[in-house]
Order: sequence, then structure tokens, then C-alpha cells
Amino acid sequence: MLSRLWYYVRETFVSLWRNLSLTVAAILTVAISLSLVGASLLIREGADRATAQFQEGVEFIVFMRADASADQDGAIRDVLDNSPAILGYTYVDKAAAYTEFQELFSDKPELVESVTAEVMPPSYRIVPANPDSGNVAEIARQFGEQPGVKEVATATDAIRQIEDFSNRVSQALLVAAVVLVGVSALLILNTVFTAIGARRQEIEVMKLVGATNWFIRIPFMLEGTIHGLIGAALAVPALFVVDDQVLAYFQESDAVPLFRGFAVPEGFVWDTSIWLLAIGGVVGMIGSAVAVTRYMDV
Amino acid sequence: MIRLESVSKVYKGDVVALKNASAEIQRGEFVFLVGPSGSGKSTFIRLLNREEVADEGRLTVAGKDVGEMSSWRVPYLRRQIGYIFQDYKLLPKKTVYENVAFGLEVIGRPRQVIRTQVPAILELVGLSRKADRLPDELSGGEQQRVSIARAFVNRPLILLADEPTGNLDPATSVGIMRLLDRINRSGTTVVMATHDRSIVDTMRRRVIELDRGVIRRDESQGVYE
Ligand SMILES: Nc1ncnc2c1ncn2[C@@H]1O[C@H](COP(=O)(O)OP(=O)(O)O)[C@@H](O)[C@H]1O
Ligand SMILES: [Mg+2]
Repeated sequence: MLSRLWYYVRETFVSLWRNLSLTVAAILTVAISLSLVGASLLIREGADRATAQFQEGVEFIVFMRADASADQDGAIRDVLDNSPAILGYTYVDKAAAYTEFQELFSDKPELVESVTAEVMPPSYRIVPANPDSGNVAEIARQFGEQPGVKEVATATDAIRQIEDFSNRVSQALLVAAVVLVGVSALLILNTVFTAIGARRQEIEVMKLVGATNWFIRIPFMLEGTIHGLIGAALAVPALFVVDDQVLAYFQESDAVPLFRGFAVPEGFVWDTSIWLLAIGGVVGMIGSAVAVTRYMDV
Repeated sequence: MIRLESVSKVYKGDVVALKNASAEIQRGEFVFLVGPSGSGKSTFIRLLNREEVADEGRLTVAGKDVGEMSSWRVPYLRRQIGYIFQDYKLLPKKTVYENVAFGLEVIGRPRQVIRTQVPAILELVGLSRKADRLPDELSGGEQQRVSIARAFVNRPLILLADEPTGNLDPATSVGIMRLLDRINRSGTTVVMATHDRSIVDTMRRRVIELDRGVIRRDESQGVYE
């Protein structure tokens, strides 16, 4: 068993080395395409976090005072339920607000620890019938004058711009990434095909003496999988650079005054990295499996 | 050990390579397949190894129906069959030792087995002192001995040989035949396709003669013609 493992490892690396130029090309393509996939995911996540409270048509939020009375709360709810100007709303109670706060500031534990669910303001996230900004501002002003209301926040144009921008950028990156992932799979297929060609004699002898098909295939499939994994591993540092530089740039710009300071937590970057490794490995395995079944009739 | 019942093989383009062939070969026999070029000798041998599949008839090897065998079993069939060729099929970048060890390594034999079996078989074929040479540093006869060592190192039940002396001079051929004879006497069934009249006439073993895919003659202690 151990000697078989050693055999696979040795054969795989000999083959990688022999095929160096194609191997490097395949690995770099995987690295670039997965960096784009990762960047796309990070930008989307960053924008989602920055605009978390204003999604799905929510145009403004009525924050109640933490100590608002049940009557005051009921009056607001009454208006929301009955006004034709309001299409819908969701109520975020203290506990939910606290949970959300914890998530948004998971990078800043001291901030999370400084508050409790009790001091979080419950809020109504409101979808107006008419999202026109003049109309929204007028309704928001009326809510702001009600007793028990602490503050009304409206979705600013800046937030909409951020959303729009992030959607476009992350979609464009994703399209490019998907194309490149396809290209990487083809390159891996080609590299493995070349490796198979370089060892045609050995494969012939192996079949002759009764090596099983899997025994013959495994080193080639490992080779493709390793291309994918190394490429993905190279994409991981790129991901951290995107996180540091690009997202930091957004945070510091004036575009999102309300939510400056929201970052993608490191945990998300690591999760994304694991995804990239998985995608890399799978792409490599699929590319080499196709090469092995198509070009090596074993 | 080997049994053909009305076996036929037709290649693409209606080339009839074997037609209605029946024969039975017992364990431990030595059989020459003779006949002119294109008469179907190689096809006969390739069917035994399941490199080709018969179109009609039934072929059993070591009690197994080779035609019906599912493809994942084929490697295990081949582990019981050694196979040597006119052109040796050695791996040029591996030494003599490595070429022979390769045959065991790729069927998952443990390293201790390889370490004991390979030197033993090299001793048998008389190449112990050339274990570290590369194939192109050897004579044709020596290369054929390496290929015999690789085919026999796993102690197969059957040894198939397709014109093993085709590229060798007569004196060298005699040496190879001595080796095959010795292997046969150890109990291994040998099936050898050949053109070499003098070898067949000297050995006086069973001869199956093929003519355009038909078995024309099958006699024990036969001659070439
Ligand atoms: N793979 C193949 N495809 C098509 N025809 C083949 C193939 N192999 C052999 N033949 C034909 O089958 C016949 C028998 O060939 P073969 O078994 O190689 O004979 P021998 O070994 O006696 O020379 C010949 O006519 C040959 O041309
Ligand atoms: Mg032939």
C-alpha cells in the first residue's frame, strides 16, 4: 500500500516536471481565473455588507427608541399596515438587531461586547409603494415626527450607486472568470493529454502485464488535480490583496458615509479561499478525467 | 488450459483473420503457431490475451470465458499470461532491473517481493551482471531475455510469444529457445508464433499451422511443413 502511494506520487511529479511549460501555463491560468472568481465574491460580499439594511426594495428604516412604549410602537405599526403609500415592511426586534450587529462587526469584538440586545433599537424596514426619492423623503419625514421614533434612515443615492457598481463589477469579473475557468480546464486536459502521449510506451507495457485501469489512470488524474490545487493556492494570496486594497479603498471613499468601516471579515476570505481550492481541485480532476477517458482507452 | 471452439475473427474491411478455429491446449504444452505472413498467428495470440475479441465462437483460458469476461477482469487475466514480442517492447529509459521490476510494480506487488524476485529472474535469464544497463546497451538477444524476464517474473500460467526470434540471428535464437524450453519444463504453457523453420524442426513440438485464418494442420511433435 505504501509502495503504491509512493509510486503514484513519484509518477505524478516526474510527469509534472517533464511537462513543465504546459504545466506552468495551466497552473497560471487556474490562478488567474480563480483570483477573479474570488475577487468577484469579495466585492459582492463587501457591498452586501455595506448596504445590508437596504435590500429587496427597502428604501427607509424607522428606528424606534429602545425604550419606546407598546402604544407608540402600535401606532407606527397601525400606519404601516393601513397606509396605501406602504407596500410592505419587516420588523427587526431587539434580538435580531443585536444578531445583525454582531455579524456586521464580527471583526471588532470589543465593539460587540460594549452593547447588549437591550440597548439595540428595534426597527421597521419599509418598502414604499413609490420608491421615488422625493416621495420617500416626505414619508420618512412624517415618520420621524411620530412619538417613540428615534431616527429614520433613508437609502441614499450613494448606497444605490455602490450596489449598482458592485453588481456590475462582480458580474463582469464572474463572466471573465467562468470563461477562464473553462480555458483552464481545457489547458489541463491538454497538459494531461500530452503527458499521456509522452508515456504511451509505458502505458502499453502496463496494460500488457495486467495493471488495472485505475492504476494507470490515477497518476494522470492526480497530475490534473495538482494543477488545479496549485493554481488555487496561488489565487489565495491574491484574494487577500483584493481584500486589503480594493475593499479598503471603498471603505475610505466618501461614497458610503453611513457605513464606512464595514469590511469583509477575515473569516469570509478564508471561507472563500477554501472554495477556490475546492473549485481548483474539481476543475483539475474533471479536466484530467476527460483527458484520461477520451485519449487513453483504458 | 486454452480452448478454442469455432472461433472466428473478422477485422474491419471484411478481413478474415481467423475462421472457425478449434483447438485445445493442455497445461504445460509447448505449441508452435506457423503459417505465412497474414495467416492469423498474431490474431490467435491477441485473442488469448483479450487484446482482440472473437466475433464468433467461444474461447476459454484457464477456465474463464475470455470473450464474455467483463473488462475490469481483463488485467487479472493478463497477470496469468506472460507476453513477448519480436520488438521486445522494453522501456528505453529504464535499466534492465527497472524494466523487469516495472512489470511487478504496476500490478501492485510489494517491494520485498520485487527485491527478491527480480534478481532471481535475472539470474535465470543470465543477465545478473547487466542489471544496471539500459536496453540500447544490450544485444538483441539480451534484450529479448529481458523481455522474457519481465513476462515470466510473475510466474504466469501461460507464456505467449509472437515471433520472439524474428529479429535475431540463428545462434542467438537457439539461446532464446533454450530459455523458453526451460520455462516450459517448469510447467508453463507456451504458445509461440514463428516463421523460423529450423527452430520448429529442431524442437519437434506440437505444431498448429494456419492458412488464411484456417487451421490446416495440428500435430504433436510436428515439423514446419
Ligand atoms: N488490427 C487489424 N485491423 C485490420 N486488419 C488486421 C489487423 N490485424 C491484422 N489484420 C489482418 O488480419 C490478417 C491476419 O493478420 P495477423 O494475425 O497479424 O497474421 P500473422 O501474424 O500471421 O502475420 C492479415 O490479413 C492482416 O492484414
Ligand atoms: Mg504476426
